[in-house]
Amino acid sequence: MPYRSPDRRAITPQGRGRYPGFDVLAQVDLWDDVTAGAVLARLSHPTGLSFFTVAEVAVAAPLLDLLLAQDAEPRVPVLELIDERLAVGETDGWHYDTMPEDGDAWRRTLACLDEDAHSRFGRGFAELAPDQQAALVQAVQDTDGDWHGLTAAQVWSLWTRYACTAFYSHPWAWNEIGFPGPAYPRGYLNLGVDAREKWEQRDDEPADPVTAGRRVEQARREHAELLDRGTR
Amino acid sequence: MKGEAAVRARNESAWLLPNDGSRTNHRLREDMRHHDLDDEVDLVVVGAGAGGAVLTQRLARAGWRVVCLDAGPFWDPDRDWVSDERGSHGLYWTEPRQIGGADPVPLGSNNSGRGVGGSMVHYAGYTPRFHPSDFRTRTADGVGADWPIAYAHLRPYYEAIEAELPVAGQDWPWGDPHRYPHSPHPVGGNGDIFLRGASAAGIEARVGPVAIANGRFGNRPHCIYRGFCLQGCKVNAKASPLITHVPDALAHGAEIRADCHVSRVLVDDDAGRVTGVTYLHRGREYRQRARAVAVAGYSIETPRLLLLSATPRYPDGLGNESDQVGRYLMVQGAPQSAGRFDEEVRMYKAPPPEVSSEQFYETDPTKPYKRGWSIQTVSPLPITWAEHVVAQGHWGSVLREYMRDYVHWATLGSLCEFLPQAGNRVTLGDETDRHGLPVAHFSYSQCDNDKQLLAAAQTTMEEILTAAGAREVITIQRFAHLVGGARMAARPQDGVVDADHRVFGVAGLHVVDGSTLPTQGSANPGLTIMALAARAADRLIAGARVGLAHQAAS
Ligand SMILES: Cc1cc2nc3c(=O)[nH]c(=O)nc-3n(C[C@H](O)[C@H](O)[C@H](O)COP(=O)(O)OP(=O)(O)OC[C@H]3O[C@@H](n4cnc5c(N)ncnc54)[C@H](O)[C@@H]3O)c2cc1C
Ligand code: SF4
Repeated sequence: MPYRSPDRRAITPQGRGRYPGFDVLAQVDLWDDVTAGAVLARLSHPTGLSFFTVAEVAVAAPLLDLLLAQDAEPRVPVLELIDERLAVGETDGWHYDTMPEDGDAWRRTLACLDEDAHSRFGRGFAELAPDQQAALVQAVQDTDGDWHGLTAAQVWSLWTRYACTAFYSHPWAWNEIGFPGPAYPRGYLNLGVDAREKWEQRDDEPADPVTAGRRVEQARREHAELLDRGTR
Repeated sequence: MKGEAAVRARNESAWLLPNDGSRTNHRLREDMRHHDLDDEVDLVVVGAGAGGAVLTQRLARAGWRVVCLDAGPFWDPDRDWVSDERGSHGLYWTEPRQIGGADPVPLGSNNSGRGVGGSMVHYAGYTPRFHPSDFRTRTADGVGADWPIAYAHLRPYYEAIEAELPVAGQDWPWGDPHRYPHSPHPVGGNGDIFLRGASAAGIEARVGPVAIANGRFGNRPHCIYRGFCLQGCKVNAKASPLITHVPDALAHGAEIRADCHVSRVLVDDDAGRVTGVTYLHRGREYRQRARAVAVAGYSIETPRLLLLSATPRYPDGLGNESDQVGRYLMVQGAPQSAGRFDEEVRMYKAPPPEVSSEQFYETDPTKPYKRGWSIQTVSPLPITWAEHVVAQGHWGSVLREYMRDYVHWATLGSLCEFLPQAGNRVTLGDETDRHGLPVAHFSYSQCDNDKQLLAAAQTTMEEILTAAGAREVITIQRFAHLVGGARMAARPQDGVVDADHRVFGVAGLHVVDGSTLPTQGSANPGLTIMALAARAADRLIAGARVGLAHQAAS
């Protein structure tokens, strides 16, 4: 197994999670080497950006932090992972005929968001407080139809697709949600409801739906407060 | 064992794979027969997917000299595939395409593949048959179209392909009731929930049918229940033409050229017949001569290629004299509903295809809509699961919290039979790809019947999940399985190919893939496409007995 320093074990983004101690990377020696290579590459420290301009980074970085609630370290390097994709033109292979291709669409929508910041708060998106930024982001999601000559829902789809693909490809995010990642050639033996492998970690928070509901409500409330402050 | 011996006698693929823990017979590929470009081969097949690979294997067995060209790589599961969602991007057709219409259909990972094995490399693995009613929906229900062939014509081919994949599942009560060669697999949490919910809601469900051998098959090992079927099976347990038909095709003299993008089908305008194809390989253009060409590039690329191959005699593209190319393209409405359970479901374990129900497949005379839908387990991995959560409008901390709850959710998917409509079609877009060829533009709009099916399917799935004990249910709208676009018809005015897959008006040109389907039922199309290709091969062989004189000698 590749060496890992003790402070690099069972990391979750922002230290949040419900599966304490669960560490996908502890099983690296049970993966095939091609898969291990692909996954471990996501851990290497990102070097510089090649697609986004400095001005675009100023908008994209806080936007992506907000979309994924990454408000503290350790962060999954979502911006860098997206930059890497756009730099080599690795798109999903389709785009709406009412949108430019993905790279241009990113540049254009970041500029539009910055424009919104100027017209509503008189400052660039990067200079705003997180709650003000959140209010602008929420406004895009709430827009029905046109947003700066584009379809708002298609813009939302572009942002969230790229953001979630990057974030949930990272082993730290898997630690957070209890997903064990690669499974070849190891496979699974214990199938069925409430069946676990001995190395799978059970959900630490009681699975009572009332608690679960409350937890989501709590997250929703925090989220709403953030927005509320932004619109005031 | 008797059954397996019979399969081996007609298709040895599973026995031609290595049994030492590696997945590819490299020897077979190295020893592959090569044809000269100037050699007029009997047939060029464009695309080595569900349709193209089966056709190639059958004709190679019959002694035809076949060259099959695929735009993508000749996959080696050990070297090329990963047990990882994000890392599987290369499996999908990601050359640019435009989508539009009132209800645009996103393509990419959810719709088509590239490389030898085609989309079945990363298909889920469900292999249901169509129902007899699918072949005559116009007569029976007043919607859709009648096929120029009947279920009975396809039945022997269904049986043959089911044995070759092979398919595992319980005895099948719907459509034309039948059994499967392999017994059903054990199910994981998601399958458990479906069976429990269906039984509580009074709905019939069955385990299967999946093209995953239950037990060893030839040199193919047992499934390890790792759940990455949609990322390509590194184990060789799930069937795709790469392991079920390509090895046997190579052993019988077929040549499969990978990384060859066919740019044009060539025709002799005076004679009105095909003469070969041009293709692009490593930046160069080549030309392969052939007596006949079969296009099998999937429902988007097949019509695109026919349109790109226009000549003075065929100014609107090949087979397009009646303006039929690209039309009647269909997707299945595929809403997915997920339920939250107190218990841990861990739907990422076991293959996503586990359990299905076809109880709502046929027209219900008491309902205002025609035709129906099927329900199956689907088990999204985290990136895809995030789409479900985002579709509810969540982002930020709420999104993260829902995602942390991943292990508690079970997901069902429906396949709704959207009806074929002339306006749903592929045309050439106003953008070009990296070869400078116009890309496909795919336009889609739903009709009223389509929308009613979506709503009804969603209600049923939610009912099942609630009956199983879910406290919260969420639904996302998706689409699956493109078919049609060069459909089979009795007359040239109504389609692009005849009942034997011959393109109207161009001698020697055939279409043998999912594009030829006139209706789609609510079954996944892969098995039907393979069965059609096996039948098309028999028709070609029968036709050639008289036509191609030198065949007798080989
Ligand atoms: C995520 C997903 C899940 C699915 N699940 C199921 C399922 O559970 N059950 C099921 O039955 N079906 C499923 N399908 C659908 C099924 O895989 C397809 O319907 C089927 O493979 C289509 O067969 P085809 O022969 O038409 O095309 P394909 O199998 O896609 O083959 C087309 C081939 O042609 C090649 N090609 C295209 N254009 C060119 C060109 N110009 N030159 C050279 N080569 C070219 C491509 O590279 C490709 O290899 C799924 C599909 C996807 C994407
Ligand atoms: S679950 Fe089974 S069939 Fe699916 S990819 Fe894994 S080993 Fe292959």
